[in-house]
Amino acid sequence: MKLSGVNTCPGKERALSFPKILFACLPMLLLTALLLSQGKLPVEPIKQAAFILTYVFINGLFFLMVYTGKVHRYRSVLFITVAVAFIIAFGANLLEVRGSMILKEEDILAGGAPFCHLVIPAVIIPAVFTKTIIFPGTIINRFASIAGMLVLWFGASVALGRGWCSWVCFYGGLDEGFSRLCRKPVIKNINEKWRYLPWAVLLVIVLTSALTFSPVYCEWLCPFKTVTEFAAVTSFKVLVQTVLFVTLFISLVVVLPVLTGRRTQCGLFCPFAAFQSLTNKINIFTIGIDREKCVDCKQCINTCPTFSLDTDSVKQGKPLLSCTKCGQCVDRCPRQAIQFRLKGIPVSMTTQTAKMLFLYPAFIFATAVGGGLIYGALLRILKLIITGSMF
Amino acid sequence: MQGFFLGLSTGAVCLAYCAPALVPYLLGEGKGIRSTSLLCASFLGGRLLGYLMFGIVAWGLNRMIVSQIALKDGFIGVVYLVLAVTMAWYGLINTHTSCAGRSIGGLSARLIGKRPQAIALSLGVLTGLNLCPPFLLALTNASEFNQLSQSMLFFFEFFLGTSLYFLPVPLVGTVNNRPAFRVVGKLAAVVMAVYYLYTGLIMVGGELFL
Repeated sequence: MKLSGVNTCPGKERALSFPKILFACLPMLLLTALLLSQGKLPVEPIKQAAFILTYVFINGLFFLMVYTGKVHRYRSVLFITVAVAFIIAFGANLLEVRGSMILKEEDILAGGAPFCHLVIPAVIIPAVFTKTIIFPGTIINRFASIAGMLVLWFGASVALGRGWCSWVCFYGGLDEGFSRLCRKPVIKNINEKWRYLPWAVLLVIVLTSALTFSPVYCEWLCPFKTVTEFAAVTSFKVLVQTVLFVTLFISLVVVLPVLTGRRTQCGLFCPFAAFQSLTNKINIFTIGIDREKCVDCKQCINTCPTFSLDTDSVKQGKPLLSCTKCGQCVDRCPRQAIQFRLKGIPVSMTTQTAKMLFLYPAFIFATAVGGGLIYGALLRILKLIITGSMF
Repeated sequence: MQGFFLGLSTGAVCLAYCAPALVPYLLGEGKGIRSTSLLCASFLGGRLLGYLMFGIVAWGLNRMIVSQIALKDGFIGVVYLVLAVTMAWYGLINTHTSCAGRSIGGLSARLIGKRPQAIALSLGVLTGLNLCPPFLLALTNASEFNQLSQSMLFFFEFFLGTSLYFLPVPLVGTVNNRPAFRVVGKLAAVVMAVYYLYTGLIMVGGELFL
C-alpha cells in the first residue's frame, strides 16, 4: 500500500488521510497488545487497570505521531516516561527481591547483578579471547539476563542502528527530560572536538576491561548507578566510586543538559553510544537532507540533541555516524528538507512510506522494552495508592 | 632461556597491562607505521629500563619489596599516580591542534617537540615498574639467583619473550592518517590518566587510612 505520494512541496508536508492513519495504526494496536500481554491478559483488576492505561498511552502516542507527523515530540514523551518508569519499576523490583537497592557481595558471587546494554562493549574482547563474560550476571532464566539483553540488542541494532539510543535505551530519557527543561541554552558553543570523547571513553573501557577482566564502566563511570543499584560503601575504593557516579550523574545527566538543551551524557560521554554508532553502518534507515530545499538556517544543527549534525554534514545531505534517528531535525526543519529515508533512495524521492517503515520497528522495540517498564511502574504506583504498599 | 619462555607464556597479560597507556599515546601522536614503530620501540626500551631498575633495586634491597607485601600497594599506587600525571600532561599538551582543552604550552610543548620519544620512554619505564602478575612471577623466579648478572639476564630474557606480543602494536599507525584518531587518542590519554589517578589514590589511600 502506498501511504502517500512523493513529498515535493517545500514548507508543507502532505499528511495522510484519516482512514489511512487508522489503517496505519491498526497493526500497532495488535502488536502492542501482544507485546504487553505476552499472550495472556491480566485477571486482577489492578493489573487490568495498569494494562489498559499503558496500552492507551502507548497507542495514543503512536496515533499522534502518525496523525501530526511529529515524530520527535511524541517519541520524546514516551522516551522520558520509559526512563522514569524504569527507575520506579527497577527500584521496586530490587526492593522486593533483595530488600534494598544495594548490590551486596553475595549477590555478585551468586551472579545476581542485572545485565544492561551499557556493558556490551566491555565484554566483547574478553568473550572473544577467553569465552568468558566478565559480568556477574546469569546467562538465562533470570531477571535482566545476559542472553536476553544481547538478543534484544542485536535485533534492535539490525533494525534501528543507533536508533537504539533514542527509542530503546531506558536511560537516555533522563538526560532528554532534563534537556527539555532548557528553554534557552546557556551554553551554546561547544567545541566540536568534544564529540570524540565517547570514542575515547570507549577505547579506555575496552582496554581496561580486557586488562582487569572486570566491567570497568560499571565499576567506575556509570552515572546511572546513582538512580539504580549501587554498592554498599564498605571501603575507600567504593567511596571514591560512589562519589564519581554521583558527580557524573549530576553533571552529565542533570546540569549540562539543562544548560545546553542537549543530551550531553548520550552525545558527549556514553561509550556504548559510540559503539552503537557503528551499527548505523549496517542499518538501512537514515536521515536525509534535501539540499535543494535546505536554506542553511542551521536550526537542525543547533537543536540536534546528540551533536550529530554539523555544517559539513548538512552540506553533504546526511547526518554524522552518531545520528540516533530521534526525529528532532525532521520535526524542526521549517522547509521539511529533512526526512527519514531508506539508504540508496535519494532524499528527493523519499515518501512518507520510508518514515512509516522506520516507525514500525522503532515503536515495536520501544514498546518491547518500555511497555513492560511503564506497566510495571504503573502497577507499583496503583498498588501504593490502593494498598499503601508497592509490593 | 627460562626467562624468555616465561615471558612468552605471560606476554599477552603484559600487553593487556601496557595497552591502556600505549594505545592512546600512539593514536594521539597520529604518526605513520614507521614513526609509530620507533615510538613503540622507545616505549619498550623504557619498559626494559623499568624492569632492569626494579631488578637492581629488588636485588640490592634483598628482595625487600616482594617480601614486604604491606609496601606493595603503596608503591604501585605511587607509580600509578606518576603515570597518571604523565598521561594527563601528554593528553593536554599541544592541545591547540588536537584537543578540546586549552594548551599548556611552554616547556612541556618544547620538550615534546624536540624529543618526541621522551614520553614513550617515560610511559615504558612507568608501566615497567608496575607489579603486574607476569612481572611478579618473573621476580619470584629471579629471586632464586644469587648473582646480579644472572638476575638481570633473566629479566632481559623475560622482556624479550613478552615483547613479541607488542609486534602488532605499530599497526595502530595504519589508522593514524585521520585527524579524528589523534583527537580520540589525546582524549583517551586524559581519561586513562583519570583512571590511573583514582587507582593510585585508592592504593595510596588504602595504605594510609585502612
